[in-house]
Amino acid sequence: MNYRDDKLKNALSSHYVLGTLSGRARARYQRLVQEHSDVRQTLWRWEQHLNGLGGSLPEAPPDEKVWRSIQARLGFVPPQPAPRPRRWTLLTGLALAASVAFAALLLWTRPQAPAPYAERVAVVQNAEAQALWLIQIRKDNLGIAATANVAPYSDKDYELWMLTKDGRAPVSLGLLPQQGKRDLARPALFDEVEIAALAVSLEPLGGSPNGQPTTVLFTTELMAL
Amino acid sequence: MDTSHHLQLLSATALGDRQAFEQLYRETSGKLYAVSLQLLQRKEPAEEALQEAFVRIWHNASEYNQERGSVLSWMISIVRYRALDMLRAAKVRRDHRAREADAVEEDDDPAAPEIDLARTRARAKIDTCMDHLEKPQADAIALAYFRGYTHHEVCHHMASPLGSVKSWIRRGLERLRRCLEA
Repeated sequence: MNYRDDKLKNALSSHYVLGTLSGRARARYQRLVQEHSDVRQTLWRWEQHLNGLGGSLPEAPPDEKVWRSIQARLGFVPPQPAPRPRRWTLLTGLALAASVAFAALLLWTRPQAPAPYAERVAVVQNAEAQALWLIQIRKDNLGIAATANVAPYSDKDYELWMLTKDGRAPVSLGLLPQQGKRDLARPALFDEVEIAALAVSLEPLGGSPNGQPTTVLFTTELMAL
Repeated sequence: MDTSHHLQLLSATALGDRQAFEQLYRETSGKLYAVSLQLLQRKEPAEEALQEAFVRIWHNASEYNQERGSVLSWMISIVRYRALDMLRAAKVRRDHRAREADAVEEDDDPAAPEIDLARTRARAKIDTCMDHLEKPQADAIALAYFRGYTHHEVCHHMASPLGSVKSWIRRGLERLRRCLEA
């Protein structure tokens, strides 16, 4: 196919912006945009045209809490208190099963937090078996706590993925905190498929640009409590 | 819409000016949230998409250039692509659920009223060209744009065969292009 063809470039770009380009055609188009500046320019032109429609909608002011979450995500406001370091050093180096048992203990021994019940947990470890993140699968969300072992990046993000046994493409669960805690949404898919593993990838800021993990750094399994 | 003002705020944001970023949020979040809410139809995911969009806007502010169109259009793209991704993920889940059981219910909450902000929208520049489309072409494009409907969903909504819907959208977009470039 000749992607230099003007008609084709416009057809693909307009469908992409509209959202009606799907599956493989969409992935192929995203690659073209990266590679060809003329495709990129066609895309930008269509964004400008069609987003006039979006801009014409009446304003819907969001709740103030959205701005607060954005500030928290960007680190403009101090993150919630970090997990107590002594406990976390204890975690370091323990075998996965022991870590999980300890994680459970940690949940029970912190009455100051309203401690939502975690059904399953996972501990993401590095090659030296140091715990990096503790992930609690709760009824309503995923509670993530970063340990001091997480290597901080100011220009990258860590992203959490779910790998399912039915072989579908990895499903993003959101960005992991580099320090402190963060709750992520629990997708309904969690209850519908068998989860083979969780994976952590390193991504440009803001997360994977194409919906798929860029560089997978770690994987871990979920353990029932 | 004060385009050069948005540009100033975004340029300052690219340099790390948090106040300018907050100002930009104050001035544009109502528009971006409308787009997100119209697509996702529910408050919680719509807020999530908005939040993620502004995180990206903060980090990618320096990537904007005027070739990309107005600042607002660039920002709408960011929130819209994020919302479309979330919609697609939710559809995969729904299809999966539908295959598993003889589930008849189409939505999580059938009682929830449809959010239709597009009904009271203002006229946009592109509307001059939308006016030249045949009605089914314009309707199909609007459903895809505002609701994130796939070809199949548009066809269900308009009670028309898939082939017609595909050609309405294709021809509608071609006609839009001719009009926009004229």
